[in-house]
Amino acid sequence: MEWRVLKISENAACSNMAIDEAISEAVREGKSPKTIRFYTWNPSAVSIGRFQSMREEVNVERCRELGVDTIRRITGGGAVYHDKNGEVTYSVIGNETDFRKGIRESYEEICGWVINGLGQLGIKAEFAPINDIVVNGKKISGNAQARKEGVLLQHGTILYDLNVKKMFGLLNVSKEKISDKMIKNVEDRVTRVLDYSNVTQEGLYEALLSGFTEGKEFFFGNLSEEEKSRAEELSKNTYRSDEWNFSR
Amino acid sequence: MEGYAKLKVPGGKLLATRIVFSDKIERIEITGDFFVYPETGLWSIEKALTGLQAKSAEVDIVNLVKKVVESNGITLVGIDPESLAKAMIMAMKNGVAGT
Repeated sequence: MEWRVLKISENAACSNMAIDEAISEAVREGKSPKTIRFYTWNPSAVSIGRFQSMREEVNVERCRELGVDTIRRITGGGAVYHDKNGEVTYSVIGNETDFRKGIRESYEEICGWVINGLGQLGIKAEFAPINDIVVNGKKISGNAQARKEGVLLQHGTILYDLNVKKMFGLLNVSKEKISDKMIKNVEDRVTRVLDYSNVTQEGLYEALLSGFTEGKEFFFGNLSEEEKSRAEELSKNTYRSDEWNFSR
Repeated sequence: MEGYAKLKVPGGKLLATRIVFSDKIERIEITGDFFVYPETGLWSIEKALTGLQAKSAEVDIVNLVKKVVESNGITLVGIDPESLAKAMIMAMKNGVAGT
C-alpha cells in the first residue's frame, strides 16, 4: 500500500496531538493508509512525555506568561519545546508490520529517514539509541513512539533555529540528567540545523519530505472527514483538558 | 507518609517514584522520560505494587515487577525492574508524614 503524505501544516498543540491520534485510530480500523505527516506549532508549545509529571518538568507559570501552550503527548519520552519558527515536526503512523520488527530497529528505520533528509542539506547526522539523532554528538532531533493494538506512531522534532535559553527557561531541566552525561552546560548538548546550513525552515521541510519519501510509493493526501471530526473531538475532550495534561 | 525519589538509570532514562504509604503502599506514581510498550503496561505495574508491604525487600519488588512485565507482555525502554525497585526504596526512605 502507498504512503499517504500530509504536507506541512501549522496548528495549535491540542490539534497536532489530536490529529496524530485520530490518524492512528483510522489506520487501526483500516480506514486510512499508513501516513507521513509534517507540522509546526502555533502558538509555540512545550510537550511532555506520556509518563512525565507536568509540574515537575515544565515551568507552567512561565509558559502561561509567554503564551506558550503546554500539552501531554500520547508517546513516552521527555519534555520538548516546540518553537513555532524553530523546528519541523513529523509523525509516521502505520501498522507495526509496516516497519522493521523490534523497538530499537523501528526507531532506527524511521530516524534513518530524518538522517536521510538532513543528509540532503549536507548535515551528517547519526542515530543515537534509544530515540535521538545527533550531529557531532549533539542532539538535533528527539523522537518518540507509541504502540497500541498493532499500530505504531512515531513523532519527532528536528531543531531548526532554537533559542536554547528560552527553551530551558520553560523547562525544569534535571540536574541528574545533566550530570550523568558529564556536561554542565545544557547548551552543549543541543544543536540545530542553522548551525550547519543556511536553509530556510521551508527548505528544511522540503529536504525532510525528500528524505522520508525517497524510494517509497506515496501520494499527497488530506485528512478524511472522519479523521477531522475525530481530531476535533479529541482536541476538545482530551488534549485541552487538565485531566489529561496534569494527570501526573 | 509520602516519599519521593528520582534517579537516572545508568544508560537509560530518568525515573521518579512518588509513594503514599503506611505499613503498605497505598498509592504509587511512576514518572519519567522512559517508554513503556504498550503504554497501559505502566498502570498494570502501579496496580500490582499498590498494597505491597512497605518494608518489602528490594529483590521481592524486582521479582514482582518482572512477573507483571512478563505476564502482561510489557516492554520497558530506559528503565528496568531493578532501577524501579531502587527508586521505590529510596522514595520510602525519604518518606515524611503529612499526606
